[in-house]
Amino acid sequence: MRATERNNVTATGASVGTPLVFVHGFGCDQTMWRQVLPAFADRHRLIVYDLTGMGKSDLSAYVPNRYADLGAHAEDLLEILDELQLAEAVLIGHSIGATIALLAANRAPHLVSRLVMVSPTPSFLEDAEQGYAGGFSRADLEGLVGFLDENHLGWSAQMAPTIAGQPAGSEATEELTQSFCRTDPAIARHFGHVTFFADRRADFESAARPSLILHCDDDALVPMPVADWMREKVPGATLRVISATGHCPHMTVPDVVSAETRDYLGSG
Amino acid sequence: MAELAQPRHLDVAAELIEDAPCGIAVTDPDGRLQYINATLSNWLALNARPERPRRRLSELLTLPGRMYYETHMAPMMRLQGYVREISCALEVEGGPPLPVMLSGVARRDAGGSFTRFDYTIFDARERRVYEEELRHAQREADELAAIVRSSPNAILRVDAAGRVRRWNAGATQLFGLDAEAALGRQVDKVIPFEDRPNWFTASVAPGCDGPEILFEAVHGCGRAFEVTLAPIGERGLPGEEDWSVILRDVSRRYAAEQHLRVMVDEMKHRVKNTLGVVSGIARQSLGRDEAAQFVSRLQALSQAHDALTATDGTGAELHDLLDFARREAGGAARLHINGPPVRLGARQATSLSMALHELVTNALKYGALSRAEGHVQVDLDIEDDGRLRLLWREHGGPPVVPPTRRGFGTKMIGLVLKAELGAEVSFDFDPSGFCFQVIFMPG
Repeated sequence: MRATERNNVTATGASVGTPLVFVHGFGCDQTMWRQVLPAFADRHRLIVYDLTGMGKSDLSAYVPNRYADLGAHAEDLLEILDELQLAEAVLIGHSIGATIALLAANRAPHLVSRLVMVSPTPSFLEDAEQGYAGGFSRADLEGLVGFLDENHLGWSAQMAPTIAGQPAGSEATEELTQSFCRTDPAIARHFGHVTFFADRRADFESAARPSLILHCDDDALVPMPVADWMREKVPGATLRVISATGHCPHMTVPDVVSAETRDYLGSG
Repeated sequence: MAELAQPRHLDVAAELIEDAPCGIAVTDPDGRLQYINATLSNWLALNARPERPRRRLSELLTLPGRMYYETHMAPMMRLQGYVREISCALEVEGGPPLPVMLSGVARRDAGGSFTRFDYTIFDARERRVYEEELRHAQREADELAAIVRSSPNAILRVDAAGRVRRWNAGATQLFGLDAEAALGRQVDKVIPFEDRPNWFTASVAPGCDGPEILFEAVHGCGRAFEVTLAPIGERGLPGEEDWSVILRDVSRRYAAEQHLRVMVDEMKHRVKNTLGVVSGIARQSLGRDEAAQFVSRLQALSQAHDALTATDGTGAELHDLLDFARREAGGAARLHINGPPVRLGARQATSLSMALHELVTNALKYGALSRAEGHVQVDLDIEDDGRLRLLWREHGGPPVVPPTRRGFGTKMIGLVLKAELGAEVSFDFDPSGFCFQVIFMPG
């Protein structure tokens, strides 16, 4: 199977211009980017896709042993770049998707010009010895994995096409319930584990391409010291702290994310 | 709604929201709390720590719920406008976490912008216990199912009438028929065995005892199967029970056994041929009398071998050996036999047949059988301890004289029977008739 099929790749925007490739994070799929895309549609080729195992990707391709390492997702991304014959691409990733984009850029710097990382973190785990304040203890993170397990039973109900308090049967809601955040519960659990226990500080420290880092000042998952760590340690990084609540500024303040990204891309 | 606008109804509505049997929370689109009803406030025991105000919905939850909120719920509220039945727990001041189910809906203004998010939160303590049991049962079922799924054996569930209800991948592999094609059909038609047309019905017919039924049969395609049937026993109603049917391909073992049988037959032939060749050599190498005696001993050995062959070499019936001896002695009139059937082991049969041959030969030459009116009486008795007593008594022969030297015969009888049978052996040279007795444990 071609990577573009496996990962449900959608290409929109201009037919020429620097390609922007968007990588979503844990818990969702490519629909996360929908409010950001219009801002770039006139001047860029826009590529969105679902990580293997998420959204409408080929779930059977999610072989847990292989995807126990985030590097496998980075390889998938490089396969997509290769199949679409993209060069000088800008990779825009959210959260763990930013890590995946960074790993891909480190592996094939010749294919990537720059990175935009939205709410990234090299590691959620505290490391007192190294003075790294990731925000979470191992016990915290194990609790989350158990929690994902608990919500398996609710999973099918989440996907049911009836919507409380919403006009039932409308086309837009139908489409969303069919696709949004849809994944197999066993994969969600596995990917959750891989995501929250990933420690990619060394890869961030050896970033091969310049990057823009967008950090929310009120992010419950990524504390400010992590943003400071990245500003100090990631080569070629520009940190922009935006005033927003939560971990998903591309959804809560999409205009801000678009403007920051456009400024950064226009700057050189 | 217009009626509700009256003051009395407003009071009712306000009371309903405040004291609802569920928690109610309202946030702005960024998740900042705008309102918490009294029920939720009580559950959280917020009054216990007024100095720690909770600003956001996610702060009402335990840590995993907070992370889930950030990664799943907040995006879902924005993208699909609702979340439903999220299983999480409230962080209660000074108490254990309270399991809840959380649902939310996003409200928009006329322009489509989000105005607020409304959440209802239900106490899920009992539900959580039930779900935990359900998850446990499901895990267990999944594990068992994996064993059945990955087994190379055919594992079926069949109803009392023999119709296939479950058909695993192993069955598809072995019989080339997928589950869809097999389900609902009669198992003995789907899996036909040579010489066992209605094997299922015949096997499970009432009167079959034991907890499981086991047999081997050859399938229409030529492969051999070991078949195990066991009632599943969930309903406990005899005659309405489903059965588990497990079929294991034992063709290789079957083929190996077949090969072994051919080998054994071949070995029997070789033994007989070798004895024939040895007889031939003896006739050419020895004097006439000696050769005759030697060959007759070999014949006794050969006969013992024949008796063993009838039982695949595992043993022989003592009466078969005595029959050979009777023929040598000249028929039933000369050798009377009295006693129950006795099964001998292979080595016992060989040495005892040699001994009987020597006894007959001696009797013909010097004993009772050397006279026309003489005969031999053989009595078999099983003693209390299970040992066999064989008594050989000669009648009507010439007066008996004890031998001056022991010939091969006596030596053979004495030594071999003692060694091979662990037998008690005694000879009695009574002048009125020679007596021989051997006692040993048969089998």
